[in-house]
Amino acid sequence: MGSGMSSNAIRGPDSETALRVKALESLLLEKGLIETAAIDELIELFENRLGPWNGAKVVARAWTDPDYKTRLLQDGTAAIAEMGFEAVQGEEMVVVENTADVHNIVVCTLCSCFPWATLGLPPVWYKSAPYRARTASDPRGVLREFGTEISEDTKVRVWDSNAELRYMVLPERPAGTERLDETALAELVTRDSMIGVSKVARPD
Amino acid sequence: MRTVDLEVVRGLYKKAGAARLKLDIAPRFKPGDRVKARNINPPGHTRLPRYVRGREGVVERDHGVFHLPDARVAGQDDRPQHIYSVRFSAQELWDAEAPSEDSLNIDLWDDYLDSA
Repeated sequence: MGSGMSSNAIRGPDSETALRVKALESLLLEKGLIETAAIDELIELFENRLGPWNGAKVVARAWTDPDYKTRLLQDGTAAIAEMGFEAVQGEEMVVVENTADVHNIVVCTLCSCFPWATLGLPPVWYKSAPYRARTASDPRGVLREFGTEISEDTKVRVWDSNAELRYMVLPERPAGTERLDETALAELVTRDSMIGVSKVARPD
Repeated sequence: MRTVDLEVVRGLYKKAGAARLKLDIAPRFKPGDRVKARNINPPGHTRLPRYVRGREGVVERDHGVFHLPDARVAGQDDRPQHIYSVRFSAQELWDAEAPSEDSLNIDLWDDYLDSA
């Protein structure tokens, strides 16, 4: 699934989109609808504070701290807040665990609901109509397109986040990571593995 | 219109939009109950997608009390009620040939469900 975001019309400092955003920003500032400091803070929030590195820390802790993992699966909201990750679109969290027997994958068939506090903004493909329709009806086919083969013995569970709750997958800890500490483990965890379209690869 | 200032943006760091309601409303279902999604076709907004309408599943978890978006969007009373994670088998939803253990969970409000 291509991102569809590579054309010059969208990317680059002089692209149509960049110019339109600049024009909008000027107008909002002129009309006093937003302050410069607020724009800077928004950019800081979405570029540096909310992103999959938050979710990766939650996963690494769950892999190394069994009590934390129990709390995380029982009350995702509280356990994630415990790590300091509280933000808009992360108010009600449910964490589902991948095991040798179960593979979970998250979708929002009605729109593009996504756990911003732990994973940041959703990737373009997550919002696309084909991902939304086909993940519900043919999750194994979608997983295969992401290069993720799920064996016939493993159950596939789809989570359609149509309500106010946001879902995140706790991926399986890969073999060969027994000697890694929490920080090193967090570096292995990808955004896609927490959506459930891929697994966490074992380190080289 | 309020100017978007630093205070507004910093509000996004908090659980400002928390949707769960602390209301003492009895649930109509409990985990383990077999339910059937109603076959409704409202002209306006709903969070009940067509693919589950008329299908049978099992209540897996009670998430607590939330507004009903259908009512809220229509400018009516919020109709607070329980949301449940309901599990449907892939065979029930899509295809008798689907892997028998594959399933889909979706969050459904009391108003969307009948006992099956």
